[in-house]
Amino acid sequence: MICLMELGLGRIIAALVLGAVIVAALVPTALVGPLENIVTATGAPMSPPSAAHWLGTDEVGRDVLNLTVHSARITMLVALFASSLSMALGTAFGVIAGYARGTTDALMMRVADFFLVLPAFVLALVLAPLAIEMGGAQGTIMGLRPTLMVTVIVIGITSWAGTARIVRSQTLSLRSRPFVDRARVIGASHGRIICRHILPNLISLIVANTILTIVAAIWIETALSFVGLGDPFQPSWGTMLFYAQQAGSAGAGAWWYVVTPGFAIVLVVVSLYSLSHAGPVARRRKTT
Amino acid sequence: MFLLRKLASAILTIFVISALGFFIFRAMPGDPERMLIGAAQGITPELLAQIRARWGLDAPLFPDQFLSYILSLARGDFGYSFKFRGETVLGVIGPRMMPTLLFVGTAQVIAMVVGLWIGSRAGWRQGSILDRFGSSLALAAYGMPTFWLGMLLLIVFAAWLSWFPVTGLANIEQTNNFQQWLGIAWRSVLPIATLAIAQTGQYVLLMRAAVVEVSKEDFVTTARAKGIGSNAVLRRHVTPNARLPIVTLISLNVGFILAGAITVETVFSWPGLGLLTVEAMRARDYPVMQALFLIFAVSIVLANLVADLLYARLDPRVSR
Repeated sequence: MICLMELGLGRIIAALVLGAVIVAALVPTALVGPLENIVTATGAPMSPPSAAHWLGTDEVGRDVLNLTVHSARITMLVALFASSLSMALGTAFGVIAGYARGTTDALMMRVADFFLVLPAFVLALVLAPLAIEMGGAQGTIMGLRPTLMVTVIVIGITSWAGTARIVRSQTLSLRSRPFVDRARVIGASHGRIICRHILPNLISLIVANTILTIVAAIWIETALSFVGLGDPFQPSWGTMLFYAQQAGSAGAGAWWYVVTPGFAIVLVVVSLYSLSHAGPVARRRKTT
Repeated sequence: MFLLRKLASAILTIFVISALGFFIFRAMPGDPERMLIGAAQGITPELLAQIRARWGLDAPLFPDQFLSYILSLARGDFGYSFKFRGETVLGVIGPRMMPTLLFVGTAQVIAMVVGLWIGSRAGWRQGSILDRFGSSLALAAYGMPTFWLGMLLLIVFAAWLSWFPVTGLANIEQTNNFQQWLGIAWRSVLPIATLAIAQTGQYVLLMRAAVVEVSKEDFVTTARAKGIGSNAVLRRHVTPNARLPIVTLISLNVGFILAGAITVETVFSWPGLGLLTVEAMRARDYPVMQALFLIFAVSIVLANLVADLLYARLDPRVSR
């Protein structure tokens, strides 16, 4: 596997996997028909893979392939929104702290350190039911039900601190480069220096970090859904595993129900990892 | 001085976390008095006022209620559980402590020993068979959700091979003879193996990267040039330096270890703090959740403190 990656084949496979997942997330209905529910379930409960149901059925007879493809959308959307929020918070925080330096920097980094220590998953466990009970459970926001928006926000506000640290240290070193001094001497404002001179130089760092943040977001979303904080009307891969666990399918040996959603997660995570490793190598080749 | 500074910052963090806990749980839906009384009928305003006065809920949130909260925390008083009526939070949490410590501790020791050994060998001889297999397996183990690995092990070893029972240890306290202890030890193999495998993956990847980084250093070339054997260079020159970044990374990952433990306990119905967290969350048992949140947060802060001190010991340059 490692040696395949060196050949570049790993990256191609990774890109293909992610492409397939994105297609599944965009047009699930075109691939496997509308999301099945208890009423529209097409098979017998807990039946193993067959010609009619390639990946078997769940405890109420829904097709596992149908569920898995539809779940791609929610897993990816939640991960994408949560990591965007986390990256935006972390980048803004890091750039401001690194650019301001001095006391502001010290204070802001203390706050970041605090969030770094906070147990993100436990905090999410505590905040999610609270926020779900306080907010309504009706309608959708940007295609996600409110309970899932809560998950997005919880992941976002608990996972930005690592990004803030990395961005800050890079900003500190950029700030002392001659081009920043030159820009200041010709009268550029702080906002202009940050937007035109510092942020563009942070892009590659931010992209590499975004991939790792997406992975972290997928993990937290999966774990939260697995303990029952997902939304039954918009299942994700974690939600599927929650129902598989509730139905006792691991102990009953219903491997198709357990393996499928988990394998999808592993494929996406490993693909994202191999792409993030690809980043720095590709850049180095370009500059030399 | 270094030690004092770290200690002070740890204490400050714990205080802020406690304050955060107070305000999060005060924002919980449902007034505390309604939670205490339940849906009882015929509560007159006078009775309600009496109850509020008795529980100190008529005092201002800040500073009165906040101060009494901090004081009771300092005394180790977390209040009463909603779900288990009449029991104190400590009484609910206490018996769950030991199973989790045993579970997480054993898995960590196994993962550290195996993972660091494989990782250093793999990094030292890049491209070797051990490196290719070890790194690929480690990436896979690291990439999968820990609880999913547990479910897979359950399918293979409990459902198919029937080596292990499907259920966890429901009654760990009622054991007194050797036979029962053996049974418990046997049942704990799968959950511990799950957490250990997942963590091993992480340690292999971290240690491999650290060893690769250190072996590029000049002093490694010098040691080689002096004619020291390859294994001795790895043991005496590379590994001690590679340990440094590992310590930091592990301390940052304690949160993930906890998340893994919570979900794995759910899979195996392991009667520890993780399963209790999920049960309390489902029953909206806020006092228990609050106490668990504080326990987890404080243990992460302490782990970070230990890592800092360990780092200073392993690398004397830091404390200067």
